Amino acid sequence: MVERMVDLLARELKMDPVDVRRKNLIPPFMDGYQVATGLTYDTGNYEGALAKALEMAGYEKLRKQQKEMRAKGEYLGIGLCTYAEICGLGPSQVAGAVGFGGGLWESAIVRFHPSGKVNVMVGISPHGQGEETTFAQIVANELGVGVDDVEITHGDTEKTPMGWGTYGSRGTAVGSGALMGAIAKIKDKAKTLTAHLLEASVDDIEYADGKFFVKGSPSKSKSIQDVALMANVAWNMPKGLEPGLEASSFFDPPNFVYPFGAHIAVVKVDAETGEIALQRYIAVDDCGKVINPMIVAGQIHGGIAQGIGQALWEEAVYDDDGQLLSGSMMDYAVPKAAFFPKFELAMTETLTTVNPLGVKGIGETGTIASTPAVYNAVADALAPLGVKTINMPLTPERVWRAIREARS
Amino acid sequence: MFAAEFEYHRPKTVAEAVKLLRKVKGSRPLAGGHSLLPAMKLRLASPAALIDISRIAELSGIKSTKDGLKIGAMTTHAAIAASAVVRKHCPVLAETAGIIGDLQVRNRGTIGGSVAHADPGADYPTILLLLDARFTAVNGKERQIAAEKFFVDLFTTSLKHGELLSSVTIPSMSSGASAVYLKHRHPASSFAVVGVAALVQVKKGKCADVRIAIGGVTVTPVRAKAAEKLLTGQAPTPENIARAADAVSDAIENPLGDPYASGEFRVHLASVMTKRALIQVTG
Repeated sequence: MVERMVDLLARELKMDPVDVRRKNLIPPFMDGYQVATGLTYDTGNYEGALAKALEMAGYEKLRKQQKEMRAKGEYLGIGLCTYAEICGLGPSQVAGAVGFGGGLWESAIVRFHPSGKVNVMVGISPHGQGEETTFAQIVANELGVGVDDVEITHGDTEKTPMGWGTYGSRGTAVGSGALMGAIAKIKDKAKTLTAHLLEASVDDIEYADGKFFVKGSPSKSKSIQDVALMANVAWNMPKGLEPGLEASSFFDPPNFVYPFGAHIAVVKVDAETGEIALQRYIAVDDCGKVINPMIVAGQIHGGIAQGIGQALWEEAVYDDDGQLLSGSMMDYAVPKAAFFPKFELAMTETLTTVNPLGVKGIGETGTIASTPAVYNAVADALAPLGVKTINMPLTPERVWRAIREARS
Repeated sequence: MFAAEFEYHRPKTVAEAVKLLRKVKGSRPLAGGHSLLPAMKLRLASPAALIDISRIAELSGIKSTKDGLKIGAMTTHAAIAASAVVRKHCPVLAETAGIIGDLQVRNRGTIGGSVAHADPGADYPTILLLLDARFTAVNGKERQIAAEKFFVDLFTTSLKHGELLSSVTIPSMSSGASAVYLKHRHPASSFAVVGVAALVQVKKGKCADVRIAIGGVTVTPVRAKAAEKLLTGQAPTPENIARAADAVSDAIENPLGDPYASGEFRVHLASVMTKRALIQVTG
């Protein structure tokens, strides 16, 4: 809606839609920005993402090409979407205030075995998003063990702690907070034990790359696996320290996270048949710290496809008696890989202050941006014909009728 | 969903298949199964018995004969798309076969199954009508059916009960003729919302042997005779082509419509696609 309105405003003011957006974007901020509706955005650099997307698209050149094609009666359209999303739900206090029937924290248990292997039980239960891998990478990176030494258990409620679900792009944004909490506890305990074993003061023990060492004399050190073994056999524990190396943590985020980005779609519309050919799709997204670029790209790809599906193909059609007419996969058009050009992706990294790793959500950015980007591109293509609005999905017949109507 | 109960027979010869079709009440031949089996699972079709003709070797294969290309009914779309013989003698048929459904469909689906099923959204009926194909039906003896007489109504052909479609013969195209098949694909099913096939032989700057077939718009594919006549003997200028394309709607009665594309839109597409097809084959 907002993205359509911005484009309509641009057309009304005879301004480039990029310039209207630039005038209205919040300038870069790194520690909270309170918007008129009362929410406080965490961090953002909206102009940065837009600039990058425009550069990748070759925006000026595209506009020139569009002009040349229009002179030949061909309709190229360039559509933009600059978005900021609220996700990573969220403070549990807010859940209570708005009458949501539950909490919005996450939990994790990290268990360091004497063998040096690490079991992690998380409340978050991914179902294809890939957080098993993301979480294993975090543990491996933070505890200095191999990623193969980490086993993530999720979804088995006999073993795992409570969780509130992977929706609202909150799996990593909230789940990693709990994981980092448990990791911090593990490191603290290991540090205490190392100090005892090396007969040093706890304050003098430092940690780097899987090793605890005495400040100033790195040769006096213990690997994290050695410390885990000593904790688990408990032959020589300091007074008051329990055996074992295991920690549980709950994380309730102090605020939502606000990922953002800028997407650009380039389409060519066949004014005779109403067919839309997607020519290019450029996506610049910022989800804070990127842990696994391939998983992030995968989420963006899927999101873009789903969002474009809404813009161009997917529709539940009912007849006057309420009978669903698009009730089979022969009638309901789900996007297929062959429908798309190669997506051109890039990331900017603006860390959030809401959680320890600075991560924001990425699960929904593609769906948020791609529907308006493609719609705006089609509307932009048909602007010289006087077409303003077409109901989604933009099927060839609807486009054809809109053109015919505008011409008559 | 599961199909209703049915008997299953797998004959090895055409004679045996024909005998079973005649003898077993409510029986239907099973070819690639890409239309009949889904229809059975949805209980839109409940044949009492299936006569699986997939193991009858004499039913598949492509031969170049003096009458033209003879293609066995059980020849798959993929085989036709890849056939060097088809590509040489009738490239438009190979090109059409190559854009049917998706790869899985093309590997299983057969030319005989497709035409005998006579789905208005299928691609073969349109191109075979254009090419004046002849269909050979067997029931003890052979019978030849012209394409114009073969497609009778929605999912209905002139094959009689007990008859088995054994092959399709495509006469050689006149020398110098060029043909094309254009398809507006349904985004979900990949069926032709509209399929337009056009053939023109340009002789000394004039159009001869002009043929236009339109599929997907009506219950069976139709030849756009008025449009063909308008272009015959004329130079293939943009104006003449546009005039012929405008006349396509004359051939269309009671256009089909669905939530994706209304009848009115299909007629419009048929006209635009005819124009483009004619430009392509005369260009």
